[in-house]
Amino acid sequence: MMELLAQAAWAYLYAMLIATAAVSIYGVVAKPNMLKKVIALTILGDTANTLFIFIGYRLGSTTPPVLTTLTPSPTDIASFVALAVDPVPQCLVITAVVINMAVTALLLFLAIQAYRLHGTLDARRLSKLRG
Amino acid sequence: MSGWLKAASKACALVLLVALTVAILMGATAYTPSLELRPLAEFYLESTLNVYDKSRWAAAPEAVTAMLWDYRGLDTVFESTVFILAVVGSAALFRFSEASLLSHGSKPGERLEEGLSIIVRVVTRIVFALIVALSAAIAFHGHLTPGGGFQAGSILSIAPLLAIAALSRRFVEGLGLTKNSCRALEAAGFLFIASISLLPLATVLGGLGACIIQNQQKPWLPPPGFSYPFELGPIWTGGSLILFNVAEYLAVSSGFTLLFILLALPEEFFRGLMRR
Repeated sequence: MMELLAQAAWAYLYAMLIATAAVSIYGVVAKPNMLKKVIALTILGDTANTLFIFIGYRLGSTTPPVLTTLTPSPTDIASFVALAVDPVPQCLVITAVVINMAVTALLLFLAIQAYRLHGTLDARRLSKLRG
Repeated sequence: MSGWLKAASKACALVLLVALTVAILMGATAYTPSLELRPLAEFYLESTLNVYDKSRWAAAPEAVTAMLWDYRGLDTVFESTVFILAVVGSAALFRFSEASLLSHGSKPGERLEEGLSIIVRVVTRIVFALIVALSAAIAFHGHLTPGGGFQAGSILSIAPLLAIAALSRRFVEGLGLTKNSCRALEAAGFLFIASISLLPLATVLGGLGACIIQNQQKPWLPPPGFSYPFELGPIWTGGSLILFNVAEYLAVSSGFTLLFILLALPEEFFRGLMRR
């Protein structure tokens, strides 16, 4: 019974994350305002990162992937492998977070410059510009 | 007609959303976390500080940093390239000659007292120092405790942002963090990363076996050669990891500071530039 409940909880979590991703993709595609597109894109990136972190979780794990000693005995290493969470998703996410921030900044700079030059952030009007 | 189309597209989006959610719901029940570990993660956890079998070790107790700058080092170097390119692209969008910036009320070495009330200004100065100290601690211990160059750089870049909000942009520029110095620091950080990655390759000329972004020596290479020192007296350096972390700390913090300084320039300054 408890197992089924845990499964349902995890399924709900994943479903909500995917739903958030779907809503943010809709925002990127359908919202005409460039600023709202950028906001939706950051939500999409954060959702993907959260999903990654959840995939790296180990049920029953008690330690982060950091050894607490510099001179480990073989039993130390064995218990570390037995109890630490998966380090791979954490490693992928930390670079993704910083790159997301830099790319968001680039998009915001683009939006600000477009507003200065053309006086609008509406993608429908910006796409009609020629020359 | 267009109203009907709009309603149809909204209905389509809703159906897509529900279908996707249900599909994931059904798929996700097949995957719930357990104590099982993937073989790849097991390899990293087992070999990161395996003093008994040093053929694949990274000399760092922190598995995430060991992966970031040793096992998957090439990937991280190119991700830093993406970061640098994004910052360079942003700076290129807001380009202007330095003479015009100087005419906009900022002299080097001058720290003007302006901004919010005295309480906010004093508290900001205290917090500013604390942020710098904390981020340096995270960067220099990145190979021992959770954290590293990316995290520390993001934290340090908060300090000038806070100073811009509570004091002024001129205060930050008075500290020497101008547009050009930030750009120089960022380039220096990236050059540092590139030279640490390429240094092992230089030993190939001396007849030793080495790979790009090598941290510790690889015993399976024909003449096992170069490795960064992982212990300097009482200090555990984790080989190249501490160097990479400090270089990334420099590059990320100065890159974000450059963006914040550019964003803090007043709007009429750019209007004036465009009129010319």
